[in-house]
Amino acid sequence: MTITLEPVIHGDRVSLLRVLGPAHVWALGVGIVLVGEFTGWNFAADKGGALAALIVCWLVGLLYTSVAMIDSEVTSTVAAAGGQYAQAKHIVGPLMAFNVALFLVFAYTMLEVSDAILLGDTIVAKAGVEGLTHNSFIAATIVVLAWLNYRGVLMTLNVNFVITAIAYISIVILFFSVSPWTQGAVLKLNELVTPDNALPYGWIGVIAAFQFGIWYYLGIEGTTQAAEEVRSPARSLPYGTMAGMITLLIAAAMTWYVCASMMPWEYLGITYYPLWDAGKLTGSPLLENLLFIATLLAALASANGCINDAARAWFSLGRDRYLPTWFSAVHPKYRTPYRSILFLLPIALAFAFIADLNQAITFSILSGVLQYTFMSINIVMFRKKWPLGSIRRGYTHPFHPLPAIVLFCLCVVTFFAIFLGFGSQLIAMVAFYFLISLWFHFYRYKFVRRGDQFTMPWPKPQGY
Amino acid sequence: MWMALSYACWGISIVLALWMLYDWFKVDTTFSEEVLTSSREGELEAVSEKHRI
Amino acid sequence: MSRYKPPEQSKAGQIFDIVVVVVAIFVALWLPLKLGLAGAAKSIDALDTKTWEALGQNATMASIWEKLGYTPETAHDIIRNRFHYVIDWPTLIIMAAVLIGYFVFLFRASDREYREVINEKFDDK
Repeated sequence: MTITLEPVIHGDRVSLLRVLGPAHVWALGVGIVLVGEFTGWNFAADKGGALAALIVCWLVGLLYTSVAMIDSEVTSTVAAAGGQYAQAKHIVGPLMAFNVALFLVFAYTMLEVSDAILLGDTIVAKAGVEGLTHNSFIAATIVVLAWLNYRGVLMTLNVNFVITAIAYISIVILFFSVSPWTQGAVLKLNELVTPDNALPYGWIGVIAAFQFGIWYYLGIEGTTQAAEEVRSPARSLPYGTMAGMITLLIAAAMTWYVCASMMPWEYLGITYYPLWDAGKLTGSPLLENLLFIATLLAALASANGCINDAARAWFSLGRDRYLPTWFSAVHPKYRTPYRSILFLLPIALAFAFIADLNQAITFSILSGVLQYTFMSINIVMFRKKWPLGSIRRGYTHPFHPLPAIVLFCLCVVTFFAIFLGFGSQLIAMVAFYFLISLWFHFYRYKFVRRGDQFTMPWPKPQGY
Repeated sequence: MWMALSYACWGISIVLALWMLYDWFKVDTTFSEEVLTSSREGELEAVSEKHRI
Repeated sequence: MSRYKPPEQSKAGQIFDIVVVVVAIFVALWLPLKLGLAGAAKSIDALDTKTWEALGQNATMASIWEKLGYTPETAHDIIRNRFHYVIDWPTLIIMAAVLIGYFVFLFRASDREYREVINEKFDDK
């Protein structure tokens, strides 16, 4: 195996490098998501109480388990950068693919923005210095990580693996240091979550909580973006994604248990640092500092993975001429989609300076849910056009079509939840996607080569 | 201390941003557009396997 | 079936397209913020007596609030700041219609484009 880092000579093709293993896939998926345990999920408690946050942790866990299963099957078969974009292109059609790529770029860029704001605010809160603003930390986060991404995917995800692992271990350390096996010593769940306040808004609060319940796991589907850079996508992607999902379910359960046992739900619902606060409330400076560092690392890992994923989705759009081909350039030395990385950098910076955390999170969630709705329909079409046995699949998910149905129903509930909080924003976003779809369908698509978009060595789909 | 850190962050951001701009300019002027945009979806598997020697 | 030959796009056209997309992104994300559309209905149901008991906090909760640096007065606005979930039917119906319409358009238009792709890809051989 001699894939070198030397610039390639004329005549050869410059492509992304296949250097990643399952651990990198795990690091990409969990790295993006884990920040959700450090901030974001707790707004679900604000929406519906502490118990609602736990119920949505499970139900949204079910939603994402379906996402991970469906995604693993399709991606282990359609292994291309762009992930769900390439899936949509081969299974549903070009316009859908264009929209899915935009969902991806929006979801990840806005998540990156949220991460940078969180990181900046956390440092400012820790410093407590008059006149210190978060802007410099935001700029450094976005620029340094973009630089890391520019310089190569292997280093980027190695870094992600290490910082994600540290952040994860710190949650485990916190969990075990508050003696989770005994209630009453540090943890006081039965005094903080009482029958009176468990569901302060009743069941409508549980539904409303879905909006931020998404935050427990948002981004795990980003593992598919690495498809062109893992050594054996058919094996590594399902393995890394599933392992990531299991890791996250455990982290989410531990986080809820510790936080709900240490803070009244009204406070939990508004704090930006639930785990750091939990660390403070233990009274141990060591734990407090550990959780402070872990919050920063989780935000960094997430932003890092988001830059990686958004750039690949944007890059794929250029490669198929959905957007100018200029974006599809690969750096001859570092083998990264460098123009896409550079293009998205100022956009992320601009939003990080003008938006606030809640809004950025909501934009991200909205695009995510639109994408999951697509995925539930996509898998049904995939199985219909290419039934089992007609093509080689890296992984086949069980109980089809149950996961697709579960996913679709939970998406409908989540749309309703978003309606309860951000209805007008949802309408505005969908209106945007609708208009840009018209632009694409009636104008931009004329620059796209037709048959060339279909790159998989598959037989003709059934029914065509 | 925190203020110094803040200024350091601005400094690092500017230096790295300039480096990326410089490298971008260098790459775009050194290599032809055909080479840079020669990546194709789906061909990757074959390419990396052929990538012998 | 003959292969579709896309027109070559001029450099200016490419730049123009990028500008269109970027402006659209900014408008979509900015407009809701500027128009104040973002954010749920949350308002403070004020109480006259500001004690932990009146705020519905038991001894454990009160001790944690105090540990976090709050008094009943400062915690009042946090605790009594409540959502008021009302289902605004017209908005809900508009939202549902917009969403369904959007997805129907997506799948139908995609299918039309997809048939072209499949025809060209598989009839060429």
